[in-house]
Amino acid sequence: MSLLSVKNLRVTFDTEAGRVEAVRGVSFSLGRERLGIVGESGSGKTMTGRSVLRLIRPPGRIEADEMTFDGIDLMAASEKQMRALRGPRMAMVMQDPKYSLNPVMKVGAQLTEGLRLRDRLSKSDAHAKAVEALLAVQIRDPERVMQAYPHELSGGMGQRVMIAMMLIPNPDLLIADEPTSALDVTVQAEVLSILDDLVKTRGMGLIFISHDLRLVARFCDRVLVMYKGKIVEELAAKDLLNAKHPYTQGLLNCLPRIGGSREPLPSLDRDAAWAN
Amino acid sequence: MTETLRGPIDMLIEIENLSVTFHAQGRDIRAVQEVSLTVAARESFGLVGESGSGKSTILRAICGLAPISGGSIRIGGEAVAQNKAFSRRVQMVFQDPYASLHPRHTIDRTLSEPLAIHGLPIPDARIQQALADVGLPANFRFRYPHQLSGGQRQRVAIARALMLEPEILLLDEPTSALDASVQAETLNLLSRLRVERGLTFLMVSHDLAVIDHMCDRVLVMQHGRAVEELSREALATAQMKTDYARTLFSASADRMLEG
Repeated sequence: MSLLSVKNLRVTFDTEAGRVEAVRGVSFSLGRERLGIVGESGSGKTMTGRSVLRLIRPPGRIEADEMTFDGIDLMAASEKQMRALRGPRMAMVMQDPKYSLNPVMKVGAQLTEGLRLRDRLSKSDAHAKAVEALLAVQIRDPERVMQAYPHELSGGMGQRVMIAMMLIPNPDLLIADEPTSALDVTVQAEVLSILDDLVKTRGMGLIFISHDLRLVARFCDRVLVMYKGKIVEELAAKDLLNAKHPYTQGLLNCLPRIGGSREPLPSLDRDAAWAN
Repeated sequence: MTETLRGPIDMLIEIENLSVTFHAQGRDIRAVQEVSLTVAARESFGLVGESGSGKSTILRAICGLAPISGGSIRIGGEAVAQNKAFSRRVQMVFQDPYASLHPRHTIDRTLSEPLAIHGLPIPDARIQQALADVGLPANFRFRYPHQLSGGQRQRVAIARALMLEPEILLLDEPTSALDASVQAETLNLLSRLRVERGLTFLMVSHDLAVIDHMCDRVLVMQHGRAVEELSREALATAQMKTDYARTLFSASADRMLEG
């Protein structure tokens, strides 16, 4: 049985200018594997990720024929049930540590908050568990990081802290929304290998949302390519270079390559039919 | 042809032992340490490195936006001075098109402002031509930045930088906030403008593939210091001499498909 199953997911926003459909009928299922969702800005990839956690605020609305996580009907779950799921069972890592960590709270306090309030651990147990989580994401001086404020950390450190925070309750599903876009390439490689390791050793399911097709291809098992709120192509990551859909091909071709020609980069000629 | 231009006299940008030091909370932060580079007229030169490597600070130092604590910067053989004559020669395009355009000014006002500051006439045709040059429709003239997409805004920022017809464009991560397809269009636009107008580029990026596509030579930086200068050929054939440049090369996203 798959961990997550989504059928005909729609996210709509009723705005003054009329109805905006951010996600239009997305279906996929996820086992304990790494699934990539790629697309350009506005393709609905982040909205798809947030919908799974039901983190869409009004006026946004989520509709789906089916959305089940480990046998639990997410569409029918109450807000209270959802709160119990978010964190311990499924978690989300956001893009930018600068905006996602509390700037006026020490990292240690943020890491232990959930353990103290949710799991009712003692101060010292919570501390020990937080340090352990920081070590798991390859932070070598966890005690210093625990005492630091987010602004005292580099981008890569901040991102690792966020991953550590999500991993403390040991969720079954991790949704990572552009977790490395704010990072330098060398740090990016480190963070990815940490995520990869955690997926393997803990048997998590991972949804990896990114605009970077090459990164997703390298890192995931399977890739969904989204365009204007729809999945236009689903393929195994290793087959990405043989992508059939002109949008996927276009996304790949418009990237410059080291040692490539100096000719103008091929532009992406969008076909109105792709959106249908 | 380019080889003959590379005599010392023809170097348009000459940076010698440049150091930039910021003073914060009683500490000295040495953002750039003794970096030297030269860029010939009509050449395109790239600076690449991680965040905090000092690459953007060099651009900012050229514009007088960062305190120079040592060394010198010369443009066309003259020491840089922050005056109107300088800004007619050198213009900058910033990374984030959401932050670099005034949100309450129309595109018309944004494009007119450089001319107004320099006391130049602002003919209608000039603004229309500027929009056409960067591939934007004429009716964008009276729109506001929030009515434009990121790629369209970056086109406006490029048009603004070109209003005074500078020789040199300083490009600070001009496409890193843009989607891949929009990045391709923007890079194509920059390449075309460089040929048409004989511009000299000094371009900063963390993306080695973008730098490779746009630049003839690239300087790899780390922790405020120059690590290694590479020609385009050396980069394409992976002939780096330093470990750091090699690390950067192998971590570059476009290596991933081969990996």
